[in-house]
Amino acid sequence: MKIIISLFFLTVVFSTTVFAHPEFQRYSKSVSGRSVNCAMCHTHSDGPEGIKPDQIGSLSQEGLNALGLARQAYKPGWGGKSPILNEFGNLILNDLGKEKILMLKQKPELLAEALSKTSDLDDDGITDAQEYKDGTHPLNSMDGNPWKLFKNNLIKNRFHILMIILATGTGLFGLYNTILWLSIKTGKE
Amino acid sequence: MKDRKSKFLKLVTFLSERMPIQKLSFESMVTKKEVPVHRMSWAYYMGGLTLLFFLIQLGTGVFLLFYYQPTVSDAHASVEYITYFVNSGFLIRNLHTWSSSCMILCLLAHMITTFAMKAFARPREITWLSGTMLLILTFAFGFTGYLLPWHQIAVNATKVVLQSIEEAGHYLPGILSTLPSYIKEIIQGEASVGQATLSRFYALHVVILPLLFLATLGSHVLSVQLHGMSQGVDTPSKKAERFFPFFILKDFWLWGVAFLIVFILALCLPFESFYAYPLFEAYDALGSTPEGIKPEWYFYFLYYPLEILPFWMVMLGMTLSGIGLFLTPWIFKNTSRKALSIIALMITAYLIIITLFGQNIYDMFKGTTP
Repeated sequence: MKIIISLFFLTVVFSTTVFAHPEFQRYSKSVSGRSVNCAMCHTHSDGPEGIKPDQIGSLSQEGLNALGLARQAYKPGWGGKSPILNEFGNLILNDLGKEKILMLKQKPELLAEALSKTSDLDDDGITDAQEYKDGTHPLNSMDGNPWKLFKNNLIKNRFHILMIILATGTGLFGLYNTILWLSIKTGKE
Repeated sequence: MKDRKSKFLKLVTFLSERMPIQKLSFESMVTKKEVPVHRMSWAYYMGGLTLLFFLIQLGTGVFLLFYYQPTVSDAHASVEYITYFVNSGFLIRNLHTWSSSCMILCLLAHMITTFAMKAFARPREITWLSGTMLLILTFAFGFTGYLLPWHQIAVNATKVVLQSIEEAGHYLPGILSTLPSYIKEIIQGEASVGQATLSRFYALHVVILPLLFLATLGSHVLSVQLHGMSQGVDTPSKKAERFFPFFILKDFWLWGVAFLIVFILALCLPFESFYAYPLFEAYDALGSTPEGIKPEWYFYFLYYPLEILPFWMVMLGMTLSGIGLFLTPWIFKNTSRKALSIIALMITAYLIIITLFGQNIYDMFKGTTP
């Protein structure tokens, strides 16, 4: 029975087109001017095909089953997780469904519009849709448009910044007076 | 015998003039020391700022050592661990990265202003030489530290540099032609950039270079203190301020401001955000090499000419510049400050243009679109 189920899933997996969607990658790269690779949506930076960790050839039976189910997620709200996609890739699949993704391949510029306007998976203050347009990684809080990151982090860390200004100012005030005191002392001697 | 004795005496006279240890007193080096006040006075703060950034490097470097693993299998993961899981790890790492760039920036500014002010002239030749050594050691810090995170850009850029060293052999005559290849092997430690290379770079970055740097820095600061500040301008300034406490107080205030700026940058602006994320993925020898492999910005002055011009031309230019840098006190002994300022301006213009617009110049020469 197990063999039959496995054969069924393998048929489903390999009869469906298994390619990544380089159209989105190309669009992101062209509008941002940044180098972008498959790691934006996939678990492996070289894409889903191959035998390296998290690529299709290395998946366990359980992984292949999950992949088979993901391939059939034509409508939004599937709720599962594809093992070859990262959190952002799965978010796209869940929010849009495979049917819409295939449609958007022709117009990759519309993907950002179709994605949630509030979702920010890495919590860096830049939405995932914007990161797609900026060619930065939606799951890496250290990666983002430098100016936008700076502005967001400045607001987020304002308390820490105020504290370090106070600490440095106080330290300098103490040092200033110590040096002046030393100077008076050495002058007297 | 008499000739040998007179040579020895000459050497002693030379050294005693360059290292006047009779001035080795608190009074002469601190309380009685004065700093000239003129339009170039701001340049006197550059050395101190460089020292501040070095101290930040030292402090943050020690913290990074607590978690960093110098093995090809764990180096990248340990850096990721520091960045995402260690408390304030990203801040320490960012401080380390930002202050390394600031240190090089201040060091270059210090060197160029020292040159323009003719502060290398007799009897400050040893101060200049130790400064040049510090510049080389700082670049070596940058080069060795770049490999340690073991990500794509780190390993591939190191490979490119080592390849360039080997290539230099093609332009050397006779037995000398094997020397660069030998040097590359020593640095690399094995057939390709791997564990042996990482271990060597790690040892250099955290032990050998800091020790050499501290020793050279000691001699540099001592000779600066023994000689005092150079006049820096043709007509000696009538105004001067006391080094202690006034100059030192201003220096510390500047340190405070510089520290705050670097701290805020480190907290709010990850250095890596200036580069594309595929460059910071773990190095995979079998994976595809991402686009945009480049050395750090402070090597652009060498990298872009190497990309655009014939190799031998760049190597010849750099060798001559290197020799010229060491022999500056003797080559420019009789050059006026005005001429030195013009040369310094030209060097500054070159460094700024090649660093900011190197890629555009490269695209223009190669006819590629950015």
